[in-house]
Amino acid sequence: MKLNIIQQRSLWWAVSGLLVLASLVAMALSWQQFGAPLNPGLDFVGGTRLQLSRTCTISETCTEPIDLTEVRQVLSQQGLDSSSLQILGQDQQVLSIRTRNLDVEERATLQSALDEAIGPFDASSTQIDSVGPVIGRQLLSSGLLALLVSFAGIVIYLSLRFKIDYALLAILALLHDVAITVGAFAVLGLVLGVEVDSLFIVSLLTIVGFSVNDTVVIYDRIRENSKLHPGTHINDIVDSAVNQTLGRSINTSLTTVLPLVAIVVFGGQTLKYFALALIIGFLAGAYSSIFVASSLLALWRERSGQAYTDMALASSDDTSPPESFS
Amino acid sequence: MAKYRAWLGVILALTIAAVVIISQIPTRLGLDLRGGSQLTIQVQPTEAIPTITEREMEAVQTVVEGRVNGLGVSEAIVQQLGNNQLLVQLPGVSDPQQAERVLGGTAQLEFRAQRAGTEQQLAIENQVLQGHLGELAAIQATLPSETTVDAETQARIDRLQADIAGSEAAIANLFEPSTLGGDQLTDAIARPTSGTLWEVVIQFNNQGGNAFAELSRAIAGTGRSIGIFLDNRLLSAPTVNVQYAETGITGGSAVISGNFTAESARDLEIQLRGGALPLPVEVVENRTVGPTLGRDSIQRSLYAGIVGLVLVLIFMAVYYRLPGILADLSLVIYALLTWAAFNLLGVTLTLPGIAGFILSIGMAVDANVLIFERTREELRSGKTLYRSVESGFYRAFSSILDSNVTTLISCLALFYFGAGLVKGFALTLAIGVIISMFTALTCSRTLLFLAISLPQFRRPNLFCPGLTTVRP
Repeated sequence: MKLNIIQQRSLWWAVSGLLVLASLVAMALSWQQFGAPLNPGLDFVGGTRLQLSRTCTISETCTEPIDLTEVRQVLSQQGLDSSSLQILGQDQQVLSIRTRNLDVEERATLQSALDEAIGPFDASSTQIDSVGPVIGRQLLSSGLLALLVSFAGIVIYLSLRFKIDYALLAILALLHDVAITVGAFAVLGLVLGVEVDSLFIVSLLTIVGFSVNDTVVIYDRIRENSKLHPGTHINDIVDSAVNQTLGRSINTSLTTVLPLVAIVVFGGQTLKYFALALIIGFLAGAYSSIFVASSLLALWRERSGQAYTDMALASSDDTSPPESFS
Repeated sequence: MAKYRAWLGVILALTIAAVVIISQIPTRLGLDLRGGSQLTIQVQPTEAIPTITEREMEAVQTVVEGRVNGLGVSEAIVQQLGNNQLLVQLPGVSDPQQAERVLGGTAQLEFRAQRAGTEQQLAIENQVLQGHLGELAAIQATLPSETTVDAETQARIDRLQADIAGSEAAIANLFEPSTLGGDQLTDAIARPTSGTLWEVVIQFNNQGGNAFAELSRAIAGTGRSIGIFLDNRLLSAPTVNVQYAETGITGGSAVISGNFTAESARDLEIQLRGGALPLPVEVVENRTVGPTLGRDSIQRSLYAGIVGLVLVLIFMAVYYRLPGILADLSLVIYALLTWAAFNLLGVTLTLPGIAGFILSIGMAVDANVLIFERTREELRSGKTLYRSVESGFYRAFSSILDSNVTTLISCLALFYFGAGLVKGFALTLAIGVIISMFTALTCSRTLLFLAISLPQFRRPNLFCPGLTTVRP
């Protein structure tokens, strides 16, 4: 297989452009509905989530799934009508309730009322997440800060190892991957009500790291090729660099996505969407490294009159392997 | 080849060490995996104390630690988080509601007069209490950490804790209720006296000073004591000398002296100051996972991890043949080393932490993929097998380095700015990335060179199926 990166670059850019545009539209729609580009979870806006499983040792309670209307009745008695409810688990015996932030007394009252009306629930498999609004903001701002700092760190590192234009284009590719992942989750939020939590920020940061990986490997090859074949047009150098690293790109994406697919299939509820975000981001990252970052570099070099020689880089360290016996 | 034999020895030794570490040092599991409550407690500034300093945080932390001990959860952890929050981890807590109630209140410090005729009773109750406390400490010292306690020991611990609570209530009963509380105490300072002895100076505001003079006058010379209670638990019960029988201790300040060492004086100082702080604390975050749910998570993540690893191993062996199988071997060694590193460094493994680990497997493979792709290229261009493998490693190195450093930069940012679970993920991913570089560059390399030193493996076809280039 041989890809014509440069020749068909308008096609690659169109694909990327459309995906990014769709993502932006999804974020805008999400903004209208939730006041945020994504459906924000408990972690960011605060609130309480109770997950209760019915004890199934007493057989007659477990023959039927939990009745949502009964749950709603209990909730409205407690003045918690606007809560969102979900029935989970294979036998529909797990109840998940998301409400405003409840203090300890309110929570205890709610739990005992539910226990009486629908229970008994198994205390040893209860999950409580209660996050105050202050903590929520804190989690969000610390997450965004981490994201910005790692952007800066990567730009600095790549500028030192390569050149500033490589670094900036790598960041551009990275923004593309982040935008597509966020867009995909905006869609999931709109369609399936999927909420993002602080793990989503973790996934974005991981995508950042990986996406840069991919781009760096190709840039590394471009740099090496321009040294080995001075006087070749940048377009040809980029073309052969991408094709030389294509096998690696595909295999690495495959081997990283495989364990993630395993998490989506076998992992618990919380990790599922985390893994899904990573899969989307990594695939976008592989695409952008192969098709976007490389072709943008070629375009940039051509436009800025550096299409042929790259003296600054050519004079740097030699990459031929050492001659040695051992 | 001697060099590679030596490396093989090192790798074997490391692997054996890793297996020993894994079997000897238990893996620390986060609360999301083994069940328990994690609470974030925010200290609220008040009009009187608009900014919270290190000194105040220290005092509040002591109060919270005292309450946590009162809950009787073994291996509880209280840590400062930022400059106005405390993180409390309560593994295996059975009643998160109670924990939240107990930890969330403002500290109650009280100075109470001892009831008449209870002198002997106090001494006896105190002795009983000390006995219980000693017994509990002895049990907890022998407990292996991070494992579940057997039912019998747990029952003993529960009984002791009930006894302790009973003794404390009995002691509190020997004192009269009082209105002189922490809100009227302005400061407490530990200071050395003569020799190695220490004392604690306490200071009241005007109103408190008067109340204390009254209280001490009533008690002076009777042989009874003034009980200083924090959250209903007796901290200290100093008596008042007969010389104050006329006026009481006036002037708004008093000295508690006794058999204090530097350490015990400082403990009392901080406890008093904690009780004096009118700082309300609030539980702003509660994450509780039931123990059964936690076990379920472990099982699921373990499945996911094993299935993921097996898929990757199969892919590598099928696609890269001989080097793929060798890479698989070094991947397994990688997994063992990383696991051992987690145990050795005391990394607390959380759900996101396991995800970080699984992800780092992907990174470990990437290094090998880069090397093998490069080796194939060199073979296709007609180099000898040995030279191809050599330059495969050499040329892939800068890519491996750059890609891993960028991931490490992200990890660093995550670890530094992230909170809780995020930190765990960053840490496991970073450890994984560092060890993966080591195993890719030593393990895979050593195994490959040893393999091609054997004639039966020295066939380029084993490295690059369908190799057509004729050697020049």
